[in-house]
Amino acid sequence: MPEREFKIPIGPQHPALKEPESFLLTLRGEKITEMTVRLGYNHRGIEKACEARTYIQDMYLVERVCGICSHSHSTCFIQAVEEIAGLQVPKRGLYIRTLIAELERIHSHLLWLGVAGHEIGFDTLLMYTWRDREIVMDILALVTGNRVNYGMNTIGGVRRDVTTDQIPKILEAIDKLEERTKYYIQVGTEEITLRERLSGVGKLSKEDAIRLGAVGPTARASGVNRDVRRDDPYGAYGELTFDVIIDNHSDVYGRTLVRLGELMQSYKLVRQIIRQLPEGPISVKAPRRIPAGQAVSRYEAPRGEDVHFVKSNGSDKPERVKVRAPTLANVQVVAHMLKDGYLADTPIVIAAIDPCFSCTDRAISRTDIESGRTDRMDWPELRTYGINWYRKQGIDFSELNKKMRVLRESN
Amino acid sequence: MDLVKKIVTWARIKSPWIIHFNTGACNACDIEIIAALTPRYDIERFGVILKGTPRHADVLVCSGPVTRQIKDRLIRIYEQMPEPKFVVAVGTCACSGGVFNGCYNVEGGIDEVIPVSAYIPGCPASPKAIIDGVVKLLASVDAASKPKEEPAVNGT
Amino acid sequence: MLVEEEKIRQQLIERFGLPAEKVNVQRERRIWADIPAANFMEIFDYAVDKLGFVILGTITGLDEGSTLGAIYHLARESGIMLNLHISVPKEKPVIKTISARFPAADAYERELVDLLGMQVEGLPAGNRYPLPDDWPAGQYPLRKDWTGIASKKKEAENA
Repeated sequence: MPEREFKIPIGPQHPALKEPESFLLTLRGEKITEMTVRLGYNHRGIEKACEARTYIQDMYLVERVCGICSHSHSTCFIQAVEEIAGLQVPKRGLYIRTLIAELERIHSHLLWLGVAGHEIGFDTLLMYTWRDREIVMDILALVTGNRVNYGMNTIGGVRRDVTTDQIPKILEAIDKLEERTKYYIQVGTEEITLRERLSGVGKLSKEDAIRLGAVGPTARASGVNRDVRRDDPYGAYGELTFDVIIDNHSDVYGRTLVRLGELMQSYKLVRQIIRQLPEGPISVKAPRRIPAGQAVSRYEAPRGEDVHFVKSNGSDKPERVKVRAPTLANVQVVAHMLKDGYLADTPIVIAAIDPCFSCTDRAISRTDIESGRTDRMDWPELRTYGINWYRKQGIDFSELNKKMRVLRESN
Repeated sequence: MDLVKKIVTWARIKSPWIIHFNTGACNACDIEIIAALTPRYDIERFGVILKGTPRHADVLVCSGPVTRQIKDRLIRIYEQMPEPKFVVAVGTCACSGGVFNGCYNVEGGIDEVIPVSAYIPGCPASPKAIIDGVVKLLASVDAASKPKEEPAVNGT
Repeated sequence: MLVEEEKIRQQLIERFGLPAEKVNVQRERRIWADIPAANFMEIFDYAVDKLGFVILGTITGLDEGSTLGAIYHLARESGIMLNLHISVPKEKPVIKTISARFPAADAYERELVDLLGMQVEGLPAGNRYPLPDDWPAGQYPLRKDWTGIASKKKEAENA
């Protein structure tokens, strides 16, 4: 007897994703035959609001497109404005901006590791990584004054300088984080359970990654050799040395390895920035009215390529601001990755693009469920389903959780 | 009846079950709420447990300015919660719409839609502020549930 | 100097007879071209298939007064960006979809439809984005003359 297809809507609130958005899955048995994404719940009308506010006000608004990669959006925006105005940010300012950029990448990738662990039932990883993440949160708060939404930029440079007493603290924090990350890399490469759970899941070939326009770690894990920091350098990246982390697993395991590798590169970059930090001013004065013109700015946010377009009309308010956040590029790829996969993989595959639906602003209204079973699963149910499904296949994190907890107590 | 209510309130204060809902937030408050649950801040030592469903929740923790699309769902979640229930608005956006106030598609703070019991401002609200706010709310619930003391007859 | 950028500029001007002042090298890795909407598809195809601009950053829609504009932000793997701008009359703002070549353009084109009232020929059926289903018809937030609609609460109060 053929299995009937039935649809499961997921969303809009998921304690795991922490933000509203919806997916509609069509299933045949346990396999997904199709997925549609409906976005829109987070749409706040930011681009329109930008036209009614001054450039500085817009910088604070755009920073809040996404709280996790706030500096990414703020910098990407301000770069476009500075280009139109013909402002040359002093080198020290660029270096400090880049320092915050890499610290943001570190916090974001550690956050992701924890969320990914949570999605597959590896909760000890969440506790460990988020505990470690507090080290970089402390440094961000020390240097910028806030844990999140740093407000570090101004038009023409940065608002706060890095002081000599902060430097040893930054370096010490990086040393600690590097040591901890090495441990995670060890767990990632040596723990069979983790490897088995993530391998072959959310497959995305290099051809499809390119065709569908994937960005960031999601693309690089499929062998796509693109990174805006190297390809279209901004900030201080032109003077810094780092490797672009490429992996060919083309699955969630690969995406994990890429982010772990990028963490190690970020530590290297922070040390370089501190070592090479030039003397001098941290900003130039910016005019209130920006001359008419336009510019497009790109930035490698933790999630991938961020694109901002700004058009000015000679007044103190922009004519047009356009934001294309990385998750909007990747969310179309998720549908492809889930197709022919198992329902049990849904949470981790979605989580693996590191979705920032806030950036992409949107939620989904639920389409009506058609005939067949009318199931509605909320996210915790789906996560539990996934964890239990894999447990039946022999992939279970309870032992690893226990083992790591023992280590934690002895730390 | 009174005794049952007291026990229920005591249980709720001692171990409130919270549900978290994002009504259009930028995620900054959301990750600080989660950070409050992790070892450094560890709100769980206060007995606070994060639940996935409104039907068992005592406290609805909301972040974000309410977008047009999310408004009905917010109301529905609130209605699904059993009494007594409390709503905490976390972050400046949840308190007043914050930096998104005036944007089309944004209704405003949480209290434009459902009654709010506690406001925790901040952009984002820090984990310490969140814990402080939740503990204060629980304390006020505790105080409200105690019988009022009879004033001393002699005024001393 | 900006050898590669200048080369691309010349190729576009010569092949399509574009006026020189309409194609600009703004700085390294940034080229802007103002092209006739009627020639869009052939110039676009050439840029993507022959000039190597295989990355689509996004599509920006603009209200230009009597016209609606669209800028296609393309990039090469090497980092050079080519920004193609077209304008269409506001009374008949029709453009063709590029989503067959760039599936990701689906979302960007729907934004043009929802927020500016563009009509995108060939866009497959699908959910609207980013506005909600109950958004009143004919209201295009990114148009300059759009002053807003009452919030749901006010709508209810006024009802």
